[in-house]
Amino acid sequence: MHPELTGGPPPAAAAPSGAAAAGGAARRESPQAITVAGLRKNYGAVRAVRDVSFSVGHGEIVALLGPNGAGKTTTLEILEGFRTRDGGEVQVLGLDPGGKSAARELRERTGLVLQDIAVEPYLTVRETITRQAGYYRAPRDVPAVISLTGLDGLERRKVRVLSGGQKRRLDLALGLIGGPELLYLDEPTTGFDPAARRGAWDLVRQLRTAGTTILLTTHDMAEAQALADRVVLLSDGTVVAEGPPAGLGGRGAEHARITFGLPAGVALADLPVPGTRKDGSVVIETAQPTADLHRLSSWAVQHDVTLSGLTVDRRSLEDVYLRLTRDATPPIAPDRSPR
Amino acid sequence: MTAVLAGRAPRRRNNLTLVIHQVKYEQLSFWRNPQSAIFTFVFPVVFVAIMGALFGGLGKSSYFGGLTALQYYVPTIAALCVLGSCYGQLAVGLATRRQNGILKRIRATPLPAWGYFAGLLANCILVSLADIALIVGVGRLYGVPFPSQWPAIALTLVLGAASFCALGVAVASMIANAEAAPAVTQLVLFPLLFLSGTYLPISSQLLNRVTGWLPIRPFNEALTGPLSRHIGADWRHLAVLAAWGVIGATVALRRFRWDPRPE
Repeated sequence: MHPELTGGPPPAAAAPSGAAAAGGAARRESPQAITVAGLRKNYGAVRAVRDVSFSVGHGEIVALLGPNGAGKTTTLEILEGFRTRDGGEVQVLGLDPGGKSAARELRERTGLVLQDIAVEPYLTVRETITRQAGYYRAPRDVPAVISLTGLDGLERRKVRVLSGGQKRRLDLALGLIGGPELLYLDEPTTGFDPAARRGAWDLVRQLRTAGTTILLTTHDMAEAQALADRVVLLSDGTVVAEGPPAGLGGRGAEHARITFGLPAGVALADLPVPGTRKDGSVVIETAQPTADLHRLSSWAVQHDVTLSGLTVDRRSLEDVYLRLTRDATPPIAPDRSPR
Repeated sequence: MTAVLAGRAPRRRNNLTLVIHQVKYEQLSFWRNPQSAIFTFVFPVVFVAIMGALFGGLGKSSYFGGLTALQYYVPTIAALCVLGSCYGQLAVGLATRRQNGILKRIRATPLPAWGYFAGLLANCILVSLADIALIVGVGRLYGVPFPSQWPAIALTLVLGAASFCALGVAVASMIANAEAAPAVTQLVLFPLLFLSGTYLPISSQLLNRVTGWLPIRPFNEALTGPLSRHIGADWRHLAVLAAWGVIGATVALRRFRWDPRPE
């Protein structure tokens, strides 16, 4: 890895051109890339965001999860400066996105990929990206971003004839072209085929390696699990759980589950480890899966029986998600975006 | 692979470069969109050519206010060009861009709002100028002498373009649903074009007095002077036009939204 890619502005940016210097200063002054404390936002009588607090460290990937109407998009839009807040503190790269003077500077240093595909139909892929590059102080190289987002060979194609997935990738390219320190991804891989999704994940990891902080929303638990350093789970306008995906909602501390089909002619009591019957299988909840699995398999080999369909697992992130958000009342809110 | 993720050295851009950058892509979008290129640009030229074929042989008549038919139509259709490429294009185009999130996306970049609007205005003026040059050319083929009052023409065109751009942005600000935008825009525009004498001279004094206070007729009159009667700037009509521009700009500034979902 090239040392200059591990974070911070490129060396040339260190020259005292006012805003770039301010950027470096903000980075030093703010230990977190994003801090949200006690955020509130109402739409009329609807309390879209009641009390949301979380933070995102520099270079971290954090996923905002939650059902529709939980307040994800509203929270994101307040951070992006599109909406005002009714209460609470918000800092993005050391600046308040609700402040007029900070807005321009933040737009220079953040990138975003929105849910709506919003591109001019009659421009080509290359023109669209080149136009966007012209808005930034220090944009990335256009051909490089084209190949990073897998748009090679489509440069001269008009946007209107692109497929949905290709347009999403163009959207991603537009989010990256400014070389943002912080990138917001609102459901970035919706509509991607599995290969394109893997490609997008690789790209997100590369960006993180290069020092980019990423805040994303997703409905895809596999995506949160694969990408996020930490997950913030929202429900009904508040944070109901927060932590690394592996440990969310006490998942890490929970017992593992060993499951298999009971061999013919064997009673539950014959097994070397106590278990219960569930849906025709034996389920063993254990705090020591390694030792118990060893005892179980040694016993099976000795008695020459087969443990059919043997699996060891933990409750999935999706199970935790569903449990923690189950009680949330369905929204009547105008909070949702029209797609 | 990761090397390309590095940013480039920051650069200084001046405002003019930024506006030229904007105009370039607005122009590409305009000319590649068959609807705007044909309906907005080609239609007025075809209309003048047809009028020339129909009435080109006739001399001056009191029906056309003491002018030849083409002397009448060259300025009114020149005004129509400005209306189409400024008012019509912006009212429909901006409502559509807002609805599908293009404006919100632009708002998220460091491009300042004035830069975006300067690009739009310059694009509209460029399209109008090219169209008017063609119309004056067609008029010349049918015996309308080239105009001589260039400063008055330039002033009238720039003021007209700015006023109708402001009105276009104002209407776009008040249309919530982009599907309704073409209908609303045309509904306002089409009857007013007829009543203001764009397609046919109007002999009703009452109508002329009423439309004289609305935006289109003053613009027609202000262009007819320098384009066909070889007289200078028509200050009274320009003042009415400018007042409409101020009204449009006020509404636009107060009501314009980048976001498809206002709070």
